[in-house]
Amino acid sequence: MTPLVLVLNLCLSFAGLAALCLSMNRHHAQAFVGRPSRRRALALRIAGWAGIAVSFAVAVTLEGWNFGPVQWLGALSGAALLVVGLISYRPGWVRPIALAALPLALLVALAV
Amino acid sequence: MRTGVRQSMAWLHGWSGLVVGWVFFCVFVTGTASYYRADISHWMRPEQRERVVATTPEALGQAAEVAVAHLKAAAPTAIGWYITLPRPGQPMLDLAWMTSLDAPFGHATLDPATGTEPATRATRGGDFLYAFHFELGLPPLIGRWIVGACAMIVLVAMLSGIVTHRRIVSDFFTFRRDRSAQRGWLDAHNMTGVLALPFHLMIVYTGVVTMALMYMPWGVSSAYRGDELRLYAEARQMPAYRMPVGRPGTLAPVAPMVEKAAGLSPEALEMLIVNNPGDAAATVSAVFEEPHGLSHVHPQVGFDGATGAVTDTLLDSPKPATLTHAAMMGLHMAHFAGPALRVLFFLCGVLGSATVATGLVLWSVARLPRTGEARPFGLRLVQTLNVGTVAGLPAAIAAYFLANRLLPVDLAARAEWEVGAFFAVWLMAALVPLALSHRQAWQAVLGVAAALFLAVPMANALTTGRHGLGGDPLFFWFDAAMLALAALLGLGAAKAGRAVAARERRAHRPARGTPALNRA
Repeated sequence: MTPLVLVLNLCLSFAGLAALCLSMNRHHAQAFVGRPSRRRALALRIAGWAGIAVSFAVAVTLEGWNFGPVQWLGALSGAALLVVGLISYRPGWVRPIALAALPLALLVALAV
Repeated sequence: MRTGVRQSMAWLHGWSGLVVGWVFFCVFVTGTASYYRADISHWMRPEQRERVVATTPEALGQAAEVAVAHLKAAAPTAIGWYITLPRPGQPMLDLAWMTSLDAPFGHATLDPATGTEPATRATRGGDFLYAFHFELGLPPLIGRWIVGACAMIVLVAMLSGIVTHRRIVSDFFTFRRDRSAQRGWLDAHNMTGVLALPFHLMIVYTGVVTMALMYMPWGVSSAYRGDELRLYAEARQMPAYRMPVGRPGTLAPVAPMVEKAAGLSPEALEMLIVNNPGDAAATVSAVFEEPHGLSHVHPQVGFDGATGAVTDTLLDSPKPATLTHAAMMGLHMAHFAGPALRVLFFLCGVLGSATVATGLVLWSVARLPRTGEARPFGLRLVQTLNVGTVAGLPAAIAAYFLANRLLPVDLAARAEWEVGAFFAVWLMAALVPLALSHRQAWQAVLGVAAALFLAVPMANALTTGRHGLGGDPLFFWFDAAMLALAALLGLGAAKAGRAVAARERRAHRPARGTPALNRA
């Protein structure tokens, strides 16, 4: 349950959930202008689910099968709250923060 | 059936949620606070400075002898003595004893170095909030039954809520604040419920399972016919219980028992239980901390009281059924969580409390009459209870912390006075909606709660030498939490003033696309 693993999970979950969020018509229109094209929506969905899957794999690999899922769900809930807060109050910040979360995740992964 | 599944689930969700919502808000809030039970207790005993606690077997043995000496004088004829040994962060001996099955436990706290009461103020600390979480301040059997019944109904409410939530995936990130009040509250309710849904389902289910043998005892009672203690021995949760023989006996010195036990397990020794201490058939149980894992399982070593010989060792992993129950209990109590994960659990608890609170408010907002019409009695009752619970309980908790700092340290029955402050402020907050309009009541009680939380760090700085910026991380984070709560409640009070008035006027015109709530 090291804090670093949690930060890594939070970054990956945030990026994944943000991608899923922005793939939806309503939220894409909040952050950018208009609905996403079919290709973009598909790409975002794939990226989103991939991020969530990677965060699950990271959690289980680094924390084991008993603590990993617990921590994964906790980080997912925290990241989801962050995404909802941002998309509701500062929709323009979602993409930059999600993009910044990925190199941050890489840095933390190297430190773990 | 003319009504569809979704509509009947909506009806079920609304009523099951409402009926238990007020009690369950209290259970959720005090449960969330209990994630930091030890820290709260620590903060409420500011005289207790951090000191290095010796936990060598010899030191623990000495502490145990001090405890037993005190108990021999205070409760020689008790049915059981329960001695919590010193551990890092908690240097005191916590003693409890049971004189009879009906009477409340006797309690004492001792400094193991001196054998007398420690020089800290008398307080129940975080244990009050923890006990309130599952007993509501009532006699244990009644309180646990009420909480359990409400929890089972909440399971119904959660599942019916999931079924009735039509666009649970596409509305996952939706929080509209620009439409009607009803839409906004519904979005907030859905969001706080769905974002931490795995947590909510887990925490309520594991809470019920923790007390499962109390709510459904018939399997055990029919199999064991009055000898239920044998179940726990057979499930390897405690050493075999020996009935007292009626002859007086002397207890062998406990220090050698403690040292022997400490050598048998790598876990830290947590507690010593002495059964029937004055009897010839007395037994002693040495209880260890749970090994690092999800399960709430304590390894134990049993001793014969008169001779000090080892009678039973429960050091290996329990059987599957016990392990499953223990894992569920472990998930509920989250003792395994380190500081970072504990923050996430706390956050999920806050989201759960918010789900209940937004649900209660949504219920009343959805049934506001058109402007000019009087509010029916049922609606007025719900609104009054909403203010008293959702705004009143935080105010009560703040008053509890404030009383801890402001009451004189040498006041008699000080701990009871602190609890009295909790209930007194809560009662006053609950009566405020009877005197003010609904909007004013929300503003007033939320504002008072915010002010009380703001006062806590100030009272702390004024009455103790230790404040948030003094270098102690506990005091820093506690002050920060108090200020954050004050800000949150203050924001709520401000918004209640502006928003309720405007939206009460628009309430009869719900926005387009709002799913029709089934008005009961």
